[in-house]
Amino acid sequence: MSAACGTPLGLSLLVDYWLAELAPADEERVEAHLLGCASCGYELRSLVNLAGGIRRVTRKGAVRAVVTRAFLERVAADGLRVREYRVAPGGSVQCTVAPEDDLVVARLSAGLEGIGRVDLAICDDSGRERERVRDIPVSGAHGEVVFLPRTASLRAAPAGVDRLKLLAVEQGAERLLAEYIFVHTPSPAGPARG
Amino acid sequence: MICSNVVSSLETDPAESSLADADLARRVTAAAPGEALAAETELYRRLAPRVELYGLRHLRAEQAAADLVQQVLVLTIERLREGRVREPERLASYVLGVCRMVVLDLKRGEGRRKRALERYAADVPMAESSSSPRVDLDRLASCLDRLHERERSVLVLTFYSERSATEVAAELGLSPGNVRVIRHRALGRLRECMSGELSAP
Repeated sequence: MSAACGTPLGLSLLVDYWLAELAPADEERVEAHLLGCASCGYELRSLVNLAGGIRRVTRKGAVRAVVTRAFLERVAADGLRVREYRVAPGGSVQCTVAPEDDLVVARLSAGLEGIGRVDLAICDDSGRERERVRDIPVSGAHGEVVFLPRTASLRAAPAGVDRLKLLAVEQGAERLLAEYIFVHTPSPAGPARG
Repeated sequence: MICSNVVSSLETDPAESSLADADLARRVTAAAPGEALAAETELYRRLAPRVELYGLRHLRAEQAAADLVQQVLVLTIERLREGRVREPERLASYVLGVCRMVVLDLKRGEGRRKRALERYAADVPMAESSSSPRVDLDRLASCLDRLHERERSVLVLTFYSERSATEVAAELGLSPGNVRVIRHRALGRLRECMSGELSAP
């Protein structure tokens, strides 16, 4: 293990350096330090490994997240196969995941302008809420929520109906913004719902 | 032959490992060419991961970074042998200068890469750079699950393809400052979880 550093670079500074967000003079100072300091280099390496890990689990479809249109363009440019389902408010779609799919996304269009907090409720066919994704990041200007579920979860899901609800949460009360119905059919090797 | 002197899993010489970088540099300079192999090897072992990081940051590719390590350290050790590093106590600055020069060359395409390697590589010992342990991806996925939704989105959008706070902010309709705050908090929580310190979801 490396010797301790007397003037360690903080995590924020290392992240800023890694993402090329520093002014040239600050970048030069950080680089000179890193080339002379094994301890801070180790910290940066750990951060880089973590960043690489996030990239890998994302590519594997092992992360559930709300993403963006631009993100979808990037993963497609990287050669990943992305199955997209665009659904309008009140709409319904037949969906599945094929063996060759890397990622599957639900693109839920909605009027989101001016709403402070939005939750995504995942419900069964009867409307019973199974899971709540709280305070999702939404851009009113984009008019949609791009939801990336875990690919492995979809592969394991039996045939059935899921209702996704976008809810505005305001002053302790919630209001239904839109509901979307996903009728899931497993890929040929998938399980059957009992 | 470039790879003829690559040495894997080099043992650390205790006498050399206790020395500062500058002392090792002086030892290389003071010795006849090729006679301070232990000091050169120790310098290589120390500097390789640091130069690799510089390469990853500026070239964004593992193989290119590995090439950079070879080229920078071959040139640096050769300059030390020749007594052309005037201030060994400022070795980091010297290496930084060499890194910049070589990255510029790499970005231009060919440059001095082949010439330098053909000229010097056969005489300079090379060790594998020592990266820190790989990340446990199952644990990472589990730790990402424990983050708040905004935190997870910001980390995925940031690190999938190295996007700045300004770029992520534009995509999510947030301010760059807000993204930086979320990013910092999320990374802290993620690191805690990865090290087993975060138990609550």
